Amino acid sequence: MSTLHVLSHSPFGDSRLSSCLRIIGAADALLLSGDAAYALQPGTVPFATLQTRGLKLYVLAEDAQARAIDVPDWARAIDYPAFVELSIQHDKVNTWL
Amino acid sequence: MAKSLLIISRQSPWSGPGAREALDIVLAGGAFDLPIGLLFLDDGVFQLAARQDAKSLQQKDLSANLQALPMFGVEALFFCADSAAERGLDPGALSLEEAGPLTAGEITALIDRYDQVITL
Repeated sequence: MSTLHVLSHSPFGDSRLSSCLRIIGAADALLLSGDAAYALQPGTVPFATLQTRGLKLYVLAEDAQARAIDVPDWARAIDYPAFVELSIQHDKVNTWL
Repeated sequence: MAKSLLIISRQSPWSGPGAREALDIVLAGGAFDLPIGLLFLDDGVFQLAARQDAKSLQQKDLSANLQALPMFGVEALFFCADSAAERGLDPGALSLEEAGPLTAGEITALIDRYDQVITL
């Protein structure tokens, strides 16, 4: 069974990312949308944590672009059709509201 | 067979409507005999603190509603042991005796077991 975890809140001053990383499974993937894209801001703790975790990691390209975030090569920038595709590929989607 | 649903409640009881809304979903699901589970994660474990008293806030606390869960047929009740420990809550002195502690790995497995997940 696989779960697509979707985060949309900034990791700074919010515990969703750290909590998600604690319970994410080996078959799962993580998608960063909205302010969650700030997790890919270089030189930060969330960036370093994600880099070392080696997860299946996706970010919505337009949200990264809007925030001047360069997507590192260990994450994949995707568009909305690819988001839909990911949702279908996984058994369920867990949106951290 | 109805799809099973896991609610993950991660808001403190006094931070806004999140905690009550999560509980309302679970009670409604229980009333309709849906296979439903409830996990308290992060600040959500504060909902389980004993001796909450919101009289001076002129609000009702959720403790009484939580006690209704087993009556509504919701018996899959869990809390994150790490969240409770980080927040200084004694796992043996929580207001919902039926809730069982889970490690991070057990939570991963719990999410796997359910068809759908809602995190509030």
